[in-house]
Amino acid sequence: MLTAVDLAFGYRGVRVGGGVNLAIAPGEVFCLLGPNGCGKTTLFRTLLGLLPPHAGRVELDGKPVAAFSRAEFARRIAYVPQAGAPTFPFSVADVVLMGRASRIATFAAPGPADHAAARAALATIGIAHLAERRFSEVSGGERQMTLIARALAQEPGLVVMDEPTASLDFGNQARVIAQVRALGARGIAVVLSTHDPGQAFACASRVALMRRGEIVSLGRPTATLKPEALRALYGVDVTVAWLEPAGRRVCIPTLE
Amino acid sequence: MSRAAFRAWVIPLALLAAVLLVSLVVGRYPVGPGDVLRIIAAKLGGEAADVPETAATVVWQVRLPRVAAGLLVGAALAGSGAVFQGLFRNPLVSPDILGVSAGASVGAVTGIFLSLPVVAIQGLAFAGGLGAVAIVAAVGTAARGRDPVLVLVLAGVAIGALLGACVSLVKVLADPYDQLPAITFWLLGSLASTTRGDVLSIVPAIVLGLVPMVLLRWRMNLLTLDDEEARALGVETTRLRLVLIAAATLLTAAAVSISGIVGWIGLLVPHVARSLAGPDFARLLPVALMLGGGYLVAVDTLARCLAATEVPLGILTAAIGAPFFLWLLIAARQAWR
Amino acid sequence: MLRRTFLTAIALALALGPASFAQTRTVVDSTGRSVEVPDAPQRVLAAGPPASVLLYALAPDKMIGWAREPTPAQKPFLAAPYRDLPTTGRLTGKGNTANIEMVLALKPDLILDVGSVDATYASLADRVQEQTGIPYVLVDGSFGRTPTTLREVGALLGVPETAEKQAVYAETAMSRLETRIAAIPESDRPRVYYGRGPDGLETGLAGSINMEVLDAVGATNVADAAGPGSLANVSVEQVLAWNPDIIIAADPAFRTAVARDPVWADVAAVREGRVYLAPDLPFGWFDTPPGINRVIGVDWLTSILYPGAAPVDLAASMRDFYRLFYHIELTDEQVATLLEGATAEP
Repeated sequence: MLTAVDLAFGYRGVRVGGGVNLAIAPGEVFCLLGPNGCGKTTLFRTLLGLLPPHAGRVELDGKPVAAFSRAEFARRIAYVPQAGAPTFPFSVADVVLMGRASRIATFAAPGPADHAAARAALATIGIAHLAERRFSEVSGGERQMTLIARALAQEPGLVVMDEPTASLDFGNQARVIAQVRALGARGIAVVLSTHDPGQAFACASRVALMRRGEIVSLGRPTATLKPEALRALYGVDVTVAWLEPAGRRVCIPTLE
Repeated sequence: MSRAAFRAWVIPLALLAAVLLVSLVVGRYPVGPGDVLRIIAAKLGGEAADVPETAATVVWQVRLPRVAAGLLVGAALAGSGAVFQGLFRNPLVSPDILGVSAGASVGAVTGIFLSLPVVAIQGLAFAGGLGAVAIVAAVGTAARGRDPVLVLVLAGVAIGALLGACVSLVKVLADPYDQLPAITFWLLGSLASTTRGDVLSIVPAIVLGLVPMVLLRWRMNLLTLDDEEARALGVETTRLRLVLIAAATLLTAAAVSISGIVGWIGLLVPHVARSLAGPDFARLLPVALMLGGGYLVAVDTLARCLAATEVPLGILTAAIGAPFFLWLLIAARQAWR
Repeated sequence: MLRRTFLTAIALALALGPASFAQTRTVVDSTGRSVEVPDAPQRVLAAGPPASVLLYALAPDKMIGWAREPTPAQKPFLAAPYRDLPTTGRLTGKGNTANIEMVLALKPDLILDVGSVDATYASLADRVQEQTGIPYVLVDGSFGRTPTTLREVGALLGVPETAEKQAVYAETAMSRLETRIAAIPESDRPRVYYGRGPDGLETGLAGSINMEVLDAVGATNVADAAGPGSLANVSVEQVLAWNPDIIIAADPAFRTAVARDPVWADVAAVREGRVYLAPDLPFGWFDTPPGINRVIGVDWLTSILYPGAAPVDLAASMRDFYRLFYHIELTDEQVATLLEGATAEP
């Protein structure tokens, strides 16, 4: 559904990367790995139509992204940014309700259907009990869950998540990855970036490795996440092994 | 009625009603409370009241327009303050962040310098306020590819400083015995000479400015998010921001054109309103309007009753507002967050 | 005491006179500062607008410039070629706009300042004198001592005859007024509101320099009730409560507005048509600037405040004043212009 063809991207006047060819299929979980500063966030912003491409094109359902209005685009693709500190003390329910923006007329306020959708999203993510708490006062993990609920309330076909597990504790990282799998299981495609290759084994159907703005390898996790490839990517020795009790592969730095 | 609705509607409405009543009854010209009510009832009924003619003039032609002006100006400043604080995602922003007040000052001060009649001074102040923000917005639109909010703030600071220099220049050139005092008084703000015509003249601009605020009451919440986040949620941020800036500027420029510079209301009142009504703009806006109107009417009542001479509004709003704001910072963290 | 010292110093200096080898003499100014001044100053700089007016009246030939540039409206009421002298700016006071280097370039041999004489102004005078090396004399400009001021500065500038004529004019006007009001008890004197600014709600409080003339002519300033002070804003409601017998407007727009606005209709002054515009050409008759320009205000106020059996011949008095102080002959047209709105309608 979302396709990038010979895409070069960057900020105004600064090219960050190029030569990107991607096609995200409905319902798949696509994981982007790469060291700090390799251009993951910039690529995501370009895919979301927030930055114009330097070259090549980004297409949604066969049409260039620029042909969609922001609302049309948002009804198809949701974005979960890294949770920042909000300026005003909105409640968790208020924040999730904002996910309905693309489905509410410009001059209208949310109606019963929107409130119901927001409540359902909260329940699906399992944070209904937080609804009346202030978004600014819940924990980092709960905030990330709130933003995922907001994306869900948006009823998109694809969710883009920028390092959803960054700065979360061990337990919350696991909860977020579980939600990513649940989204995929529900038929919602997910594109996420992460710093932990092990998470790709846990949730992704495909994985791409990115280095200095270019995609160096792309494919199924088992085929792509080889120790040599990860060593080339991160500059440290990595052990990839099957862990029987977990039923999946894990990936840890070897540490001589 | 829920507790939240009580806080958001009943408290501000009760305060407002009390303030309006008191301010109509007190003043330097002695008119008894009973007479005040009789005069208003008689005027509304279209008949002559059985009270001295001058008392009727004082209540109907002097106090009522002044109270109405206080209500409109206070509401306008508080409403646009709430919008600007949201747009700039900063609770420390006041309506003059984009140079409205500075532009209005240049207009008014020029009018005083040229010895123009009051109506022309007000017109120049209004035009100056709008012009200043138009320049800032044009700069903001020209500087693409940077954080649009940051560009607007920086352009506002620079244009504001430039206009401040213009005001100072006019002050230096003005007749020190004749025009300088008038300029100083204007810059401190006052409703002393408000006529019914003044009030009526700003009503269209205030209504015109409020319409988009009411229509966009829920969208406004989304503009308090990070710009890219809001766009990803499906909001045309650039267009909406310009519409709301224009609306808030219209309100502020109309307000200061008849009151002169009155600070602190646009900064302080939205805070208090937020602590009563929460951050949701649909609820915040009416509360901010009511509290802002009530607060300025109350302060203006003090300004005209404390002494035989007028205490400039700008002095009172700052003298009351700044300590209250500090108290809010220390004592009521929630309101400030 | 101060004044005696001053006069003694001048008398002493004059006695020594041209026979002395010294080209300078020492005078003590109104602040008590001893200043060494030239015997016969030729190039005098006025430190502010009141000093400009005084200097222009007494010795226009010695003027090197105006503290404020005369406006096109003022110029017809000032004599050529003085009205086209350069603008020098204000040297002290509310915002000094004069450039010290330019002041030096004009080579004045005396700086004359007229106005308030407090420690601030005395020290400002000292600073300028120290910085420029030019003698700086500060003279008390309060309205009550106008004849004295004229004579003192006349002596200082070496024009005692002119000064004497002008002082006598001022004294005559005052004595005419005193005869007129002697029979009127304090309680029957008119209660006056003076409205400044475009909306007319700026006024002078008790003891303000802006109201000196009104005090001098024995009328009551309604704003005295608000206590002492300088300029302040008041509310319409307050003016209605004061209910003045007479309103003096500084701004023509205010006079027009008062006549038309129903809010003001019940004020005694408006009901009786006693709203007057203070003439202001070339300088204010009432308060701006606070200089000897206010002397003509005495006859004017006498005629509007105390319209008695024997009316003051205001036009004649004006012609005398403008000839004597401003060195011009007023045309009939100019008299009419000045008096437009300033007196009771005929």
